[in-house]
Amino acid sequence: MAKKDTMNALSKRGISEETSTLLLTKYNTLGEISHAAEEDLVALGMTEDEAKSVLEKIGPKKATSSARTKKKVEAEETVVVPMEEVTNFYQYNETELKLKGYMEEEKIELPMKVVVDIAARIEGHDVSEEQCRKLLRRASEMYQNHKMDQNESAGVMAAHSIGEPGTQMNMRTFHYAGVANINVTQGLPRLIEIVDARRIPSTPSMDIPLEGIAAQDENVARLVASNIEITSILDVATIETDITNMTLIVKPIIRKMEEKHIELDELVDRLNKVKAVRGLVKLSGYDIVIQSDEPSYKKLQAMYDAVKTAKIKGIDGITRAVLSHTEGYWKIVTEGSNLKEVLGVEGVDAPNVMTNSILEVADVLGIEAARNSIIHEAMGTLGEAGLDVDIRHIMLVADLMTNDGYVKAIGRHGVSGKKSSVLARAAFEITAAHLLHAAMVGEVDHLEGVTENIIVGQPVTLGTGAVNLIYTPKTKGDKQ
Amino acid sequence: MTYGITKRIGSIKFSCLSPEEIRKMSAIKVITPDTYNDEGYPYPGGLMDPHMGVIEPGIRCKTCGCKVDECPGHFGHIELALPVIHVGFIKDIKMLLESTCCKCGRLMLSPEQIKERMDSMEKMEELGGGTIEKKLFTKDTAKDASGKAVCPYCGETQIKIKLDKPTTFREVEDNHKLTPKEVRERLERIPDEDLRALGIDPETCRPEWMVLTVLAVPPVSVRPSITLEAGDKSEDDLTHKLVDVLRINQRLRENRDAGAPQLIVEDLWELLQYHVTTYFDNQTSGIPPARHRSGRPLKTLEQRLKGKEGRFRSNLSGKRVNFSARTVISPDPLLSINDVGVPTFAARELTVPLRVNQYNIEKVREIVRRGPMADKLDFPYVPGANYVIRADGRKIRVTERNAQEVAEGLDIGYTVERQLIDGDVVLFNRQPSLHRMSMMAHRVKVMEGKTFRFNLCVCPPYNADFDGDEMNLHVLQSDEARAEARIIMQVQENILSPRYGGPIIGAIHDHITGAYFLTHNDPHFNKEEAANIMFKLADIEMPEPLIDDKGEEYWTGKQLFSTVLPSDFNTSFKANICQNCKGECKKDKCEYDAYVKIRDGKLLCGTIDVKAIGNSKGKILDRIARDYGATRAAQFINQVTRLALGALMNHGFSTGISDEDIPKEASLQINNNTQECIDKVTELVDSYRAGTLQQMPGRSLRETLEVSVMQVLGQARDDAGKIAGKYLGMDNPAVIMAKAGARGSMLNLSQMAGCVGQQAVRGERLSRGYWGRTLSHFEKGDLGAYAKGFCSNSYKSGLTPTEFFFHAMGGREGLVDTAVRTSRSGYMQRRLVSALEDLKLTSDGTVRNTVGTVVQFKYGEDGVDPAKTVRGKAIDLDDLFFEVFGEAAEDFVHDNDKDVGSDYGALEKDEMEYVEEEGDGEDMDDLDIDYDGGE
Repeated sequence: MAKKDTMNALSKRGISEETSTLLLTKYNTLGEISHAAEEDLVALGMTEDEAKSVLEKIGPKKATSSARTKKKVEAEETVVVPMEEVTNFYQYNETELKLKGYMEEEKIELPMKVVVDIAARIEGHDVSEEQCRKLLRRASEMYQNHKMDQNESAGVMAAHSIGEPGTQMNMRTFHYAGVANINVTQGLPRLIEIVDARRIPSTPSMDIPLEGIAAQDENVARLVASNIEITSILDVATIETDITNMTLIVKPIIRKMEEKHIELDELVDRLNKVKAVRGLVKLSGYDIVIQSDEPSYKKLQAMYDAVKTAKIKGIDGITRAVLSHTEGYWKIVTEGSNLKEVLGVEGVDAPNVMTNSILEVADVLGIEAARNSIIHEAMGTLGEAGLDVDIRHIMLVADLMTNDGYVKAIGRHGVSGKKSSVLARAAFEITAAHLLHAAMVGEVDHLEGVTENIIVGQPVTLGTGAVNLIYTPKTKGDKQ
Repeated sequence: MTYGITKRIGSIKFSCLSPEEIRKMSAIKVITPDTYNDEGYPYPGGLMDPHMGVIEPGIRCKTCGCKVDECPGHFGHIELALPVIHVGFIKDIKMLLESTCCKCGRLMLSPEQIKERMDSMEKMEELGGGTIEKKLFTKDTAKDASGKAVCPYCGETQIKIKLDKPTTFREVEDNHKLTPKEVRERLERIPDEDLRALGIDPETCRPEWMVLTVLAVPPVSVRPSITLEAGDKSEDDLTHKLVDVLRINQRLRENRDAGAPQLIVEDLWELLQYHVTTYFDNQTSGIPPARHRSGRPLKTLEQRLKGKEGRFRSNLSGKRVNFSARTVISPDPLLSINDVGVPTFAARELTVPLRVNQYNIEKVREIVRRGPMADKLDFPYVPGANYVIRADGRKIRVTERNAQEVAEGLDIGYTVERQLIDGDVVLFNRQPSLHRMSMMAHRVKVMEGKTFRFNLCVCPPYNADFDGDEMNLHVLQSDEARAEARIIMQVQENILSPRYGGPIIGAIHDHITGAYFLTHNDPHFNKEEAANIMFKLADIEMPEPLIDDKGEEYWTGKQLFSTVLPSDFNTSFKANICQNCKGECKKDKCEYDAYVKIRDGKLLCGTIDVKAIGNSKGKILDRIARDYGATRAAQFINQVTRLALGALMNHGFSTGISDEDIPKEASLQINNNTQECIDKVTELVDSYRAGTLQQMPGRSLRETLEVSVMQVLGQARDDAGKIAGKYLGMDNPAVIMAKAGARGSMLNLSQMAGCVGQQAVRGERLSRGYWGRTLSHFEKGDLGAYAKGFCSNSYKSGLTPTEFFFHAMGGREGLVDTAVRTSRSGYMQRRLVSALEDLKLTSDGTVRNTVGTVVQFKYGEDGVDPAKTVRGKAIDLDDLFFEVFGEAAEDFVHDNDKDVGSDYGALEKDEMEYVEEEGDGEDMDDLDIDYDGGE
């Protein structure tokens, strides 16, 4: 997969496919190529000119990366190809465009969601232009009536709307999510987890739809699943320690090997890559024998431990991958999550892969995706508990959490701890530390927020407190 | 009262006190480590010196000459013999010592670096960076500067410094202890310029001030001594601590001046440090807390501030108020939803200020003349006055005796505190106040009795019931407050919940049963019945009667119901009793009368139940509240509930244990079915034992067994419920309640009549208890249905002893769950509120915080108020199409998309696990886990 990416990257830089295939025989990533010397490239069978141009095209990245960053960072940076911005705009259909046209003529402002909904209803019906216009005008009137008032304390409303049903949710941590028999944290604990922006959720899980033939055929789907689920040697074989000969004997279980789609040679290859036993693994008959290179029990034990935990196949972090058949398609539900790797697995419908680990979404797909992930997860959790909360409230929370470009938690390490007012922070948690620090740096509290104003005893700046009503009484001399 | 522009505090600046400032503001230097002498008079120069303010009435402060309530108190000071470190700043001191040179005191960064850092700090400020960002940045600066081997300015070799918690610094190399004096000297050397680079403003806080040479002594009024009954005085914790400080300070000074050995001086110095440390924070880790004689740890400065009972959360963020009342609540279905019944006893005590002017002086005089009338608690009720405030601000208590006299003396500009009368606006509240509907404005209705009363429809927003709940009432004191409360807080304005776009106030319980009897299958009422039903609806005319075959007048239920609808009201929907028939809905011709159709304010067909008028689901209510306004909605609720109750009283309604009676053959059938299921479980267990059980993918054999057993037993309960349900027809009161959505569910019924079902703890069958078994009644390793908590009996037939025990196990989990849940969700809500409280919708449609950072460019992506949405959608398309196309609108409705998300709660309660509901969240005092102190 890495090669595929590199290939794309190379072609984006204007390097011919031929050359890139050539390059890829030796190098895996852009970084490696850019570090290579010109001679190395020539050695691969390129002309000198070609080699130069390749290096030129890939090279500049190197110069831009700041000199101060450490070497390792640099290598990583060069690998990261500027991501193609995927914008998947909704394509309006004819009816919708027609309505949109009327809207512009009538100077009506409506959210497109409403327009699309209306269009979906009149689709296939014979509706005259006049009626369409009437619909839109009336819709606009209704929409204007439903708009939120100025200075409304949208935040408190959202906090109440999410917090209040919290008391009605159940604490039962586990819930069997549908057919897949995968445990997923639900209810209040999950909601708290989302709001806390935990790095790793207590039960990470992914939902991986498949594409192409894998979605149709169970066996192919199973193959994909076996590529995703992490397989250790103990899953497919038994290990025996032969102390007299100082060997480890790995006895593969054929049935399980087949189940996991692993060939014997593959297994040997894999084991040979394990650090502790590199180059010591040999195939003898159906068994794999690992001969220790020094006569020490300690070494043997170390080898045993290394082999036992060796990953044979699959993706780190995904401990289980279970198939599930929904709406005629096969999909995979996993325990454990590793979005970055899973996106690259063949047969996976990458644009529709979901994970419940919000921070991971933020890392892999960016902050906007993380925001949507928060909304999706929170709505899902509340919906599962049978509670109805308007999505706008959750959007507000999600937007606040992702406002700075990274995911902040709701709490003293996140949003509340970063408030601009000393008094508000002190009133929340870790009172003394905030006050002392404020004294040290000479902080000024401008009394703009709610808590501060309550503390000093004056009206808050929300709702009716945000406006002033000035009445000048008529005096006797005034006309009118 | 002041009118016109009110003053606002613009900002508050925090800073450290310098020793000079402390001395300057000090009223007296405290030297005597004692409080009162034997005669009970404070020692001069002692901790209770009257220069620092007074706490006893009658005595005047020696500094300002004021009496108790007028004198705010004055600080004193203690001159410390040797400097000590302030614990609160220990980390900052360490940072400063590490990042500056030990000899010249310069920040160990090159001038360019310092400049660069300063520039980025300035930029940060420009970009609106808060203190926290700056704090992190300066931390970084300090980290960069520290750990240098040689000072770039003077070339001095640096010695690493280690902090021995809590307050001792040590040079790593030679284990030399840095005395606070040395620390102070080093801090003194740091130039102002370098401090700025470290984020410290030298104007407000020089670092050497963090090492105390003089200790401020708080005013006496901050630490009042309490006189016990016996006459002896008990001192405040702070005073105790200060006594300790003074005592050691004195000994230290004596020893030092007498030239005592270094060791003794150092020991005393350390002891002084300990006392000063605990004076600031008695929970410093690493040292034992100072204790009271009784063994209770002292509550010193930090403990006073932090935590839920601390100054910030309990006295500053939450304040106690006057003009409030609290008593038990009880229901009154005849009050409007906007009313609250206030007992006369409370009404006589609570007052509203009334400003006397030339137009009302005579009326007010009449009120004052009546006096307080504290004993007149019966009806007719007339308001009196409790206080009169003169134009100069003097407050006069009106008594029986002086009422006449005060009334005569009344003049324009006076303010009279008048007792409550009907129509006064008050706030009504029930804890826990989880959302804004927990506090709403009501109109007072003074009533006999001793409880607060309100309409039953208002129970859901308060989450109140009448099993002894108490509620609070606050009387508003200004016109502005009253206007605001009436316009935005009144009950009728809160019918639509902002949580979901639906009504939270609506018909509940009996109202729904009543509406069902009124409308289901359109009963006919004769004149007497119809009048009985309608007589409580004062402003509604009896509709024209119909004539039956015998020539007698009659009214139909649907006709009566239509009287309370607005005359141009149109809607149609499926009622709650809808059977969800397969295939096309027969709509008007529904045989269960479950399709509600209203045209021009006439109920044409269908049954009115929760889906029509119920709280949170009522569609008619929803429409009226959104399209006809709050006043009309309130009127509708008042009328429809009275009508429903009228109908219910006419019909008569009762439920009891006999409602769950099922015929013998039914119970036989249930028993057979349950037995079959249990046999199936036994089979499963056998096949598990034999190893022939087909393993589920991704599950162990044991898990497979558990899952299939749970499935089979779940099926058993459902089947039992179904069989029972078949024999409990729609003429059964309990079934009517469940089906109409008034109370209870079919699941409840099937547990009462059919079978209680599998009991579970943590979502699994019961397994704990004895070794290998749940109870000693079973064999070890028994995996069968009965041994693991299956209750095959119904509540009515009665549980066996083992079943009863298992049921208690399941019930216990529910109780523990609620207890944990309340505290956890309370803390989550506190965090949410604290994080979101500052966000508001600005005039340009963006949502911003107080600093002005945009959080959302358009609120909720469309700027629509969630309370006004239709199930979350910006506008109601059904309505829109009906308005434009009339009856033809139904052609546009695709059957498949109509019912998507049409319910406010996607899942019904009864579809979820059966949970004990009562006793829910009664103890909300202990809302959150306190995370103060630990970082």
